[in-house]
Amino acid sequence: MRVRPRRRWVRLAKRVASHLVLILACAFALFPIYFIVVTSLSTLPIAAITAHVLVPNPHSLTAASYNTILYHLSPSFLALMTNSLIFAGSAAATGLALAAFTGFALSKFNFPGRRTFVYFILLISLFPGVLLVIPYYFMFNSLGLIDTYLGLIIPYSAGAVVFSGILVKNYMDSIPDDIEEAALVDGLSRTQAFFRVLIPLCYPVLGLAAFLAFLGPYTDFALAHLFITTTNLETLALGIYSINSGDQGTQNYGLVTAFAVVMSLPIVAFYLAFQRYIIGGLTLGAVRG
Amino acid sequence: MADLRDQTLAFRLRREWPAYVYLLPVTIVLLFLNAYPIAYTIYISMTDFGTGPKGSLLHYHYVGLANYDYVISHQSSTILQLVGNSFFWAGGCIALFLLVGLGLACVLNQPLRGKTIYRTLILLPWAFPAFITLLVWAGMWDYEYGIINGVLNAIGIHSVDWLLSPDNAWAALFITNVWLSFPFYTVVFLATMQAIPKDLYEAASIDGAGALSQFRRITLPYLRPTIVFVGLMGFLFTFNNFYPIYLLTNGGPGLSTQIFITQSYSDAFGAHGAAPLYSTAAMYSVLDFLIIIVLTVVVIWGADLTRNWLR
Repeated sequence: MRVRPRRRWVRLAKRVASHLVLILACAFALFPIYFIVVTSLSTLPIAAITAHVLVPNPHSLTAASYNTILYHLSPSFLALMTNSLIFAGSAAATGLALAAFTGFALSKFNFPGRRTFVYFILLISLFPGVLLVIPYYFMFNSLGLIDTYLGLIIPYSAGAVVFSGILVKNYMDSIPDDIEEAALVDGLSRTQAFFRVLIPLCYPVLGLAAFLAFLGPYTDFALAHLFITTTNLETLALGIYSINSGDQGTQNYGLVTAFAVVMSLPIVAFYLAFQRYIIGGLTLGAVRG
Repeated sequence: MADLRDQTLAFRLRREWPAYVYLLPVTIVLLFLNAYPIAYTIYISMTDFGTGPKGSLLHYHYVGLANYDYVISHQSSTILQLVGNSFFWAGGCIALFLLVGLGLACVLNQPLRGKTIYRTLILLPWAFPAFITLLVWAGMWDYEYGIINGVLNAIGIHSVDWLLSPDNAWAALFITNVWLSFPFYTVVFLATMQAIPKDLYEAASIDGAGALSQFRRITLPYLRPTIVFVGLMGFLFTFNNFYPIYLLTNGGPGLSTQIFITQSYSDAFGAHGAAPLYSTAAMYSVLDFLIIIVLTVVVIWGADLTRNWLR
């Protein structure tokens, strides 16, 4: 190759431009997050929140909003968190089990009606989930389950089931049949092979399925808003919505953002810890095309 | 186990029947929580539930396709606007996602110092639950108190009425949704690009191919299946993505950013204290569902067609 002096300049310019683009992208990505954190640490009234807040004086930062969120809410933050964990936790458990069974059946069996079943669940999942709340309301009302734990746990359990089932199926497709066959040769039944061999191999994608099933109820507003009428069932999502719309006195940005930080923290931590598996699991189907 | 396809039905049933046992729980759940409510919604859309005479909330009647007929003949401009907005929303978002995602993936795919840090930072918006960040974004766009106008003022630009005029409302929605989604698209495309064998590029550059033609002849063909798949899934998801529009503009100003799903929701739950119109809400759900089904069938059929064509 001929080495021309111009080439080095082009290379340098390309590198500088790349860094500039990435810095801009990061600034765009981080600005709202930075804004949330800074606002949550100030107690300024909403009208005073202007650009200069973005470069705060370190002495003016205060954890007062966090104090209010954690100790002076009614219903208390702990109660909201407990409810959210009950709903999201049970949805994660059922979602995990359903996704595992569905993925196993669709990936490792060639039963009559398999194609029809896949088309059926895909068709069903095309209906907008938010709009199911209308029929749900009448169904659960006639069952007497409005404003009860069970009345929300049941609909939440179906939230991500089709999507996660297909994720698990894709993942199991990538596990060679030989592994299962070796287990059968060793004298295990197919069910035993599923629980003892396949399931441990699928921990990453099963974790992702549980996470997705958890996330839905944890942040659900549409269904909870309609189903929950007494305060003792209220969830975090309802809590932040009511603070944001000023139900607890005047709208206070410090409180909204502090709530947002505390509520997001577990999700962000989980996400950062398992980044690789989450991205790997979600892109498996997409990357293979 | 593909050879089983040739076996008789009885043989396959005898060998594969446990699959039905494994699928039983999910089938029950989907029938009770999806199939039945969808059928119920279709039925409600053919009654006068909420739109009939007073007291019809308890005693509603089957009216056939009267609701559809009424809307199509008397409110065709509303329907057309909802169709247009829904497509504009989903199409515009997907175009931006693909553009930003592909662009950033290309930049991140070259050897650069600090690449991992950039990638982690870019991914952060995606780690936050969308419902929470959308509430904050709604406040950020506020005309008087929003931080975005605050920053604009600080650099000498007049406040923009972000959520109060149609064009600006769309701009705010698009920017917000790009913020929510571009991390995912960037990572998916980056993962696909990193799977392309490096020697292809070496061979091409020895043959004298420039960066642009390398992108066109190597990167793009490799990415095509991913672009089609992710693009389609993203389009379907965005078409029914409820929270950005509901929390930011709630379809306003007027109907200018209203899509099917938000229209349906506000009809059902009486926006601005109006009476709930369950039958109209159900009708919009059904129309949304029909459009999505037709789109999916067309795209799957079209993708098959182009694949067979090109091979």
